[in-house]
Amino acid sequence: MVTVQEHPRPVAVAEALLGSDGLPRLRVLVVDDHPAVRLGVLQLLDDQPDLVVVDAAASAEEARALAEREPIDVAVVDYQLGSRSGLWLTRMLKRLERPPRVVIYSAYCDGPLAAACVVAGADGLVSKGGVGAELCDAVRAVARGHSRLPIVPPTLAGAMRRRLGPDEQAIFGMLLAGIDPSEIASTLGISPAGLDSRRWAMLHKLEALRPDPVGAQRGGERTARRRSPGC
Amino acid sequence: MNGNSYGPERSGRRRYIPLLYRVAGVNALLLVVAVGVTIVVLDPSRVSMFRVDAEGAALIVALLLVVAINVYLVRRVVGPVQALTALARRVDLAGHGERMPVSAPASEAGELALTFNEMLARLEAERREATGKVLAGQEAERLRIAQELHDQVGQELTAVLLGLARVEARAPSDLRDDVAEVQGAVRTSLEDVRRIAIELRPEALDDLGLQSALAVLCERFGERFGLQIRQQLGQQLPDLSREAELVVYRVAQEALTNVARHSGADVADLTLEPDHAVLTLTVSDDGDGLPDGYQPGTGMRGMRERAALVGANLQIDHDPDAGGCRVRLEVPTENSRVAVRRENGR
Repeated sequence: MVTVQEHPRPVAVAEALLGSDGLPRLRVLVVDDHPAVRLGVLQLLDDQPDLVVVDAAASAEEARALAEREPIDVAVVDYQLGSRSGLWLTRMLKRLERPPRVVIYSAYCDGPLAAACVVAGADGLVSKGGVGAELCDAVRAVARGHSRLPIVPPTLAGAMRRRLGPDEQAIFGMLLAGIDPSEIASTLGISPAGLDSRRWAMLHKLEALRPDPVGAQRGGERTARRRSPGC
Repeated sequence: MNGNSYGPERSGRRRYIPLLYRVAGVNALLLVVAVGVTIVVLDPSRVSMFRVDAEGAALIVALLLVVAINVYLVRRVVGPVQALTALARRVDLAGHGERMPVSAPASEAGELALTFNEMLARLEAERREATGKVLAGQEAERLRIAQELHDQVGQELTAVLLGLARVEARAPSDLRDDVAEVQGAVRTSLEDVRRIAIELRPEALDDLGLQSALAVLCERFGERFGLQIRQQLGQQLPDLSREAELVVYRVAQEALTNVARHSGADVADLTLEPDHAVLTLTVSDDGDGLPDGYQPGTGMRGMRERAALVGANLQIDHDPDAGGCRVRLEVPTENSRVAVRRENGR
C-alpha cells in the first residue's frame, strides 16, 4: 500500500501508477451514481496495492468523457446509472481506440443480465453482495484477459433467443459460446461496424439499455416497443 | 358469495304456503261457492233436492279441471322463479357469467329472469372494475416499495459492505473473523432485500417477456427451495396483454410458492401451452396433493380474482400423473378476444 487516498477523486500522479513491487498498477475508473457506494468502491479498489483508481464518475456520459481523455485498464461500472445503463457505457467504452476491460456490478445479478452483459461485451459481472474481495479479484482477472461472467442457463438463453431476429440469434449464440467478435464478424461475413450495430439492436430488444431495475414508468411504451414489427 | 345467506332454511325466516297451493285452493273454493250461489239464485227449491250422484260428480270434475289448469299455469310462472332463486344462491360474481336461459320473455317470470341477467352483468362489471382498481393500486404500491428497497436500503447496505471490506483489510488478525461474520450478515440482508424487491416486482417480465421471466422464476425457486422444476415453455407465444402476462406470472409465482411451502414435493412441472385461442399455464407437482376438504387460501382466491379480470379460468385439482396438486390457468389470447369482439359487433 503506497498511498492512502483521502480525496474521493485521487489525482493520478506518475509514481502512484507504480505498485509497491515496482510494477505498473492497473488504472481503474469507477462509475456509480450513488455517492456512498461510489466512494466505497473507490476506496476499496484504491486500497489494493496493485490497483489505482484514476477517476470516479457519477454518470455514464461523464465516464465516457473521462475514458476518452485518459487511458484506463479496467472500468468498474454500476449497472443502474440513472438515465443510462452500465451496458450503454460498456458499448461506448468498447468503441474507444484502446477499449478498457469492463466489470459490471449490480444488485440484480441474474441470468438475463449476464446474457445482456455478454451481448454488450462486458468482461465481468459481480453481484453487489460480492463487492468486497470478489470485485477486486474480478478486476484483476479481466485485466489479465479472463472473463468473469456467470453462465447463462440454457432454458433462459433459449427463451431470450426467441426475441431476436435470425441473424441476431446466430450472433447471440456465438457470443454466449465465448467466440471472439472479430471471428463472429468474419464467420457471418459482416463488418465489425455491422456487428456493433447489431449488438446495439440486440441490447435494445433484450431491453438491457434501460437501467431502472424495477420497471419504473414503463407501461404502454414498453409493450408497444416489444411488439413492434421485426421483434 | 355465501350461498346460504338467503336460503329459506335461514333461522328467523317465516314458512309460507307456496303460491301454487294458494292459487289452486282459492280457485277451487271460488268454484264451489259460485256453483252454490248459482243454484240458490236460479232455483232455490232445488237446494234441498241436490243430487249427489250426477251433479256432485260434475262439480268434482270441474274442480279437478280448475286445479289442473291452475297447476299448469302457475308452474309455468313459478318454475323459472325457482330456477332464478337457485341461481341467485349459487352465482359467483368472480366466476364465469352464469345466466338464466331466456331469449324472449313470454311471461312476467321471463321478464324477471331477463332483468336478473342484466343486474348480474352490471354487478359483474362493477365488481371487475373495483377488483381491477384494487389490483392496479396494489401493483403500483409494490413497484414503489421495490424501488425504495433497491434505491435506498440496497445502496446503503452496499456502502456498508464496502466499508466493511476496507475495515477487514486493515483489521488486526484477531478481529478478522468477527468482521467477516458481520460482512456475511450484511451480505445476507442485501440478498434478502434484492429477493423481496424481485418478488414484489417481476422486472424480468417487463424486460424480457413472459417466457424468460418464467424461466428466471423457476431457476430462482429451484435454487432457493432445492426444488427441481422442469420447464416446458412453448416456442411461439400468442400475444397477451400486459395485464394477462402479469396474471400468468403471478399465478405461476403463487403456485410455485405453494409447491415449495406446502406440498413436500421434490419435482414440479411448469408448462406453458399456446393454442390459437387459449394460453394454458399448468403447474403440477409430485407432492402430497390437496388435503381433504381443501379450501383455497387468500393467495389462491386472489389469483382467481386476478384471473377473472382478464377473462381467464383458474382450476386447482389433483394431478392424475404425478400424484400431487395441479394448478391450471387458461387465458384467452388477444386474437381470440378480437374475434369475440367482432362477432359481438355483428
